[in-house]
Amino acid sequence: MVFTTAINFIRSRGPDEFWRKRKIFRLAAHYIGRRRNCYSVTIKIVHRALVYATKGRQLRKDDIRNLRDTRITAGCEQHDIQPHEFKEGLTRCNILLNRKSLADLAAWEPHSFKALTDIAKQRLVDDEIKQPK
Amino acid sequence: MAALKRVQQWATFARVWHIFDASWQNPFESAQVLKKYLMGLYKPIYHPMNECGDHVIVINSADIALPGDEWVKRVYFHHTGYPGGASWTLAWDLHKKDPTLVLKKAVYNSMDGNLQRRYTMERLHIFPDSKVPGALMKNVSNQIRQIRPMPKRLDEYTEKEVKEFPKIIDLPKDYILR
Repeated sequence: MVFTTAINFIRSRGPDEFWRKRKIFRLAAHYIGRRRNCYSVTIKIVHRALVYATKGRQLRKDDIRNLRDTRITAGCEQHDIQPHEFKEGLTRCNILLNRKSLADLAAWEPHSFKALTDIAKQRLVDDEIKQPK
Repeated sequence: MAALKRVQQWATFARVWHIFDASWQNPFESAQVLKKYLMGLYKPIYHPMNECGDHVIVINSADIALPGDEWVKRVYFHHTGYPGGASWTLAWDLHKKDPTLVLKKAVYNSMDGNLQRRYTMERLHIFPDSKVPGALMKNVSNQIRQIRPMPKRLDEYTEKEVKEFPKIIDLPKDYILR
């Protein structure tokens, strides 16, 4: 088709209606009832689902972070040190492990984790931040 | 699996039974401690989908101590579901009716409301006095430290200990002790 004016070019934009809707239906393939068969219902549900997915990406990160903090706190408690003291002690020793590594060590490598707490405790005593027990 | 590893696995995933003496303890502070053991938050293998919580036996719940004037200010709400079915009970009244309920509600409210909460509460065994059924007591392998140490009353000391207690001053002979 040849467009002689720009107006006609705008009017005929986009792919065919069938294929445009099919993209949406593909996303709704696992829904049941009218929410996968009627386009007007489907488009609403799919938009909502995409919003949830967007929010969920951040929520998942927050959840994992909270879980790792819980595990590190639990590990610290076993060795009688506060999590913030532990972090401070490690930073002063230039042991810059992130939450993931520390949580994994707490769960899977308890002996390595104990060694880290010992290092942190000793460092705090050496720097006269904490009294030795 | 090597025998050592197998035992290590059992030890990791076994349910531990803890005992907690609630006498003279603040139930709302105690709830934060008990929750940790009930949900397994004190274990580094904790995961919300991983059922790693332990059992906790609480004894002497009749002797809990509420802070300040909470006994007369704290109100527990109940609704029967029928119109006009609302009722408000003061803490001292509730405690008189059932000496385990104040602590139980404190623990229940300290946890997030999810599907796991009621099953977690099933693992909490509260007794108003120190009489615990032997079947439960024989499982216990750990005691949770009290938040506040219980002071010893004067009448719990023996005569000899009172006599030998170090004195700051010697009272004059004509001083009348009441």
